[in-house]
Amino acid sequence: METHSHILSWIIFTPLLFATLALLIPHKFEKHLRTLTLIQTLVSAALAIFLYGIFDSTVAPLQLTHFIQWLPEWGINYIVGIDGISLPLVMLTAFMAPVAILGTWPHGDLKKEKFFVTLLMGLQSGMYGTFLAADLFLFYFFWEVVLIPMFFMIGIWGGKDRVYATIKFFLYTMVGSLLMLIAIFFLINATSDYGTQPSAAFAHVSKMNFAFDGSSLMSALSSPQALLFLAFALAFVIKVPMVPFHTWLPDAHVQAPTVGSVFLAAVLLKLGTYGLMRIAIPFFPQAAMYFSELFITLGVIGIIYGAFCAFAQTDFKKLVAYSSVSHMGFIMVGLFSFQKIALAGSLYQMINHGISAGGLFLIVGFLYERLHTRNLDDFGGLAKVVPIMAIAFMIMTLSSIAMPGSNGFVGEFPILMGSFLSQPVLVLFAGTGVIFGAIYALKAYQLVMLGPRTRSDLTDLHDLNGREILAMIILTVFVFGIGFFPKTFFGKSDATLESYANELTVKVGQYGSH
Amino acid sequence: MDLISLFPLAVLGPSEVKFIMPLLILSFGAVIALLLGTHKEKGHFFAFVASLITLGLAIYQTGSLLMNSETLQLGKVLEFNSLTNFLTLISLLLSSITVLLTYGQDQKEGLLSEIYSLILFGTAGMILMMSTNHLLFMFIALEIMSLAVYVLVAMRRNSQFSSEAGLKYFILGGLASALFLYGSSLVFGATGTFDLAQIMAFIETQQAPMIYFIGLALILSAMLFKVGAFPFHSWVPDVYQGAVTNVTAFMSSSVKITAFMAFANIYHHMIAVPTVPELSHFKSIIWVLSAASMIYGNFVAISQNEIKRMLAFSTIAHTGYLLMGIYGLKVSDWSLQPVVLYLFFYALTNLGAFSLISLIEGRNQKDITLDQLAGFGTNSPVLGALLSLFLLSMAGIPLTSGFIGKYGLFNSTVVGGEIPLVVIAVLTSVVSVYYYLRVIVYMFMKESNNETAVAGVSKGASIAAFLSAFVTLQFGLFPNSIIQLVRLITR
Repeated sequence: METHSHILSWIIFTPLLFATLALLIPHKFEKHLRTLTLIQTLVSAALAIFLYGIFDSTVAPLQLTHFIQWLPEWGINYIVGIDGISLPLVMLTAFMAPVAILGTWPHGDLKKEKFFVTLLMGLQSGMYGTFLAADLFLFYFFWEVVLIPMFFMIGIWGGKDRVYATIKFFLYTMVGSLLMLIAIFFLINATSDYGTQPSAAFAHVSKMNFAFDGSSLMSALSSPQALLFLAFALAFVIKVPMVPFHTWLPDAHVQAPTVGSVFLAAVLLKLGTYGLMRIAIPFFPQAAMYFSELFITLGVIGIIYGAFCAFAQTDFKKLVAYSSVSHMGFIMVGLFSFQKIALAGSLYQMINHGISAGGLFLIVGFLYERLHTRNLDDFGGLAKVVPIMAIAFMIMTLSSIAMPGSNGFVGEFPILMGSFLSQPVLVLFAGTGVIFGAIYALKAYQLVMLGPRTRSDLTDLHDLNGREILAMIILTVFVFGIGFFPKTFFGKSDATLESYANELTVKVGQYGSH
Repeated sequence: MDLISLFPLAVLGPSEVKFIMPLLILSFGAVIALLLGTHKEKGHFFAFVASLITLGLAIYQTGSLLMNSETLQLGKVLEFNSLTNFLTLISLLLSSITVLLTYGQDQKEGLLSEIYSLILFGTAGMILMMSTNHLLFMFIALEIMSLAVYVLVAMRRNSQFSSEAGLKYFILGGLASALFLYGSSLVFGATGTFDLAQIMAFIETQQAPMIYFIGLALILSAMLFKVGAFPFHSWVPDVYQGAVTNVTAFMSSSVKITAFMAFANIYHHMIAVPTVPELSHFKSIIWVLSAASMIYGNFVAISQNEIKRMLAFSTIAHTGYLLMGIYGLKVSDWSLQPVVLYLFFYALTNLGAFSLISLIEGRNQKDITLDQLAGFGTNSPVLGALLSLFLLSMAGIPLTSGFIGKYGLFNSTVVGGEIPLVVIAVLTSVVSVYYYLRVIVYMFMKESNNETAVAGVSKGASIAAFLSAFVTLQFGLFPNSIIQLVRLITR
């Protein structure tokens, strides 16, 4: 075990090392920048596969931890670690990165390409760091660092309204995360009241128990645990995004370049749900339980509202963006149901949504690159012209609407089943979201691929080329692999999920006896 | 009481002289720079070299004092300890960077060679101000510093804004000085002493008379004017905009540090005394003004189009954060660590930002507006990236020293139990993120046009910018050494 203690840091900083390399690359080699990016993502993926291999599935708490003193006086240290919750998300990041690069290779001549690939690599470092951090401060650090490359990516290479979209994206996230920062100050200093050195390590914070009084709404709101929970939860639900904090997402998605959209949908949104699962819920369980109905309700509203909005869109990319709002709502419902099955389902759904939304954004990108439009009315009857793309699109649609046998089913079914135990009525409404999801997704498929052709210039449209097919094949393997053999893919998370759910039940149980 | 005991000047031996050596070096150096500056052709160059040598000697002298952590109480007037030595070192470093920044710009803006000696005189005033515990000496130091800065502000002879700014600053500053002096005399009348420690001891043990509070209010107004807090801020935007950019850099770094350290000193001894119930009103005033500075500075900065003016308003907001930091300190466990750290990081970031602005101004005569920055980052990626780094540091985004500074300051205020104020600070910093980002947006996300500024060439400004960038990143990633150091000296 000890011999591999640096693997997590290698995973975090490998993209950054490549970014330095990309910055230093001489001018005449600049046309190979994308090859370099691809190599970087492959190296990262190889490291992640190695990590998957050495990950000990019998250990529930954080393993492979790596500790470096950073700012001991302020209780801040560099601690990274991994467990069954972060492992799938790291794997998701590692696999989506090469897929995203493969799927969006030559967008014509990209301006300022060097800067672009540097940001892309920095973004990956930030995402790995957020998933692997085992210290609140470090988590916050990476959480903020992720913002900067995304800000530039949308702002420089985005669409027409890119500046508005990117500033909105940045400010929305900032509001939440700065309140989270105050909560972190409070937590770090509270640890010293418990007789230890000030520390923001997850291991320390999870042992603390903050006063909570749920006898009335006012007393609940004024108890420290509830305030801390709400400060963290706000930061995370903005990122998820949960209705009513979702409005930045369609803007950001529509304006972002395809690579940006893929990363945003596949990984960045998961930072929010990961934060809820890792920090907000287990550290403040009683407050989370107290507010769970609110969050489930908002989650259900998000599912249905997102689905309706998606149905009403004529812009294909916006449709997929709203579908994200809808699908992320399921994760919210699952997380706040406090049921073992639903919690596991939420984790699976994070991965599955990453795959299906990432795939759909790639399809949008393929179409846009060829036809320079995203308007659903401009397509039609493409299936005959581009059959391979039609198949790929179908697979991603099936995954998105949670068809049994696809990965989507593995996520949404346990969520609905588990949370039905705690909130039957609300979950009934959530269940209708699955149907609405099928309606808008199939509508989009029909408008694009089937029906009469609306344009005559579509005959010489070229189908997916080799690397695009490769990208879609990787995703397809995961869609059906997870769909048919979920145990193979998620088996390593079982121990952690088991103990996570048990601990949560114990902690919340103390509240029940109040 | 005889006059001598009021101005207790000690007899100086060699062991005392080495402490005031930096001050002596600066004063002599300033005179020499002044004389050398009269040379017809090479006056600027000679004055530049002389002031650099002077600052280098002073830095060497202060550095050795700091290394040996020697302390000295000179009479009851001047106190030299690790903290003042550190601050002296910082202001000397900042002044050196300002001098670097000035060289090359001085000819273009038609500045006289006296600018170098004025910077040295101003620095001497700052060092004196940070080392004294005596209200009258503080006044004298304030005047030495301010008179130099008034002239520096008005130095840009071919710009009427500069003269306007200088006059405005001079008149208002003169008023503030008068208030300070009158307030000190009232406090003297109430307590019978000018010494801050004795004043504190007096009000802790005896009932303070009414005139003490009146005097305190006057002193407080003067100090709030000097730090540029709301509602004493009206000079800040005009002066920052009107002055030559390197003078603005000087003001936003060294002058800021000095004013705040003096303010903290006065606050600690005259306001943060828990045994006096009436002083809680003064504390609430600081609370309100801190919140008001943050809100006013940040919201007004949004609507600014000229970058120097925008940074001037943002500096009002940063004043608000610093007031919050001082307000939030625990009286029982008085340590200026977070405030000193924040000031240090903020000063360097500001210096970096203003040196870049002076570079960008290079060939332009007018102030740089946002429109002129459109596409600037695309044309000059390195300068654009550096300016972005400084702006992100001011906004307090991780990876930069600004984040560490803000973290420490907000953290200590949370520990002090002032959570509502921190929430205001945090929410207004989100506002600040907007206008800092707007500059980055213009630089990188807008197309360049024929108005886009073209960066000039100035070695001094480039060195200053790279130095500040290095420090910003270095302490943003590995702040431990400086935090430890500042903790040791502020104990």
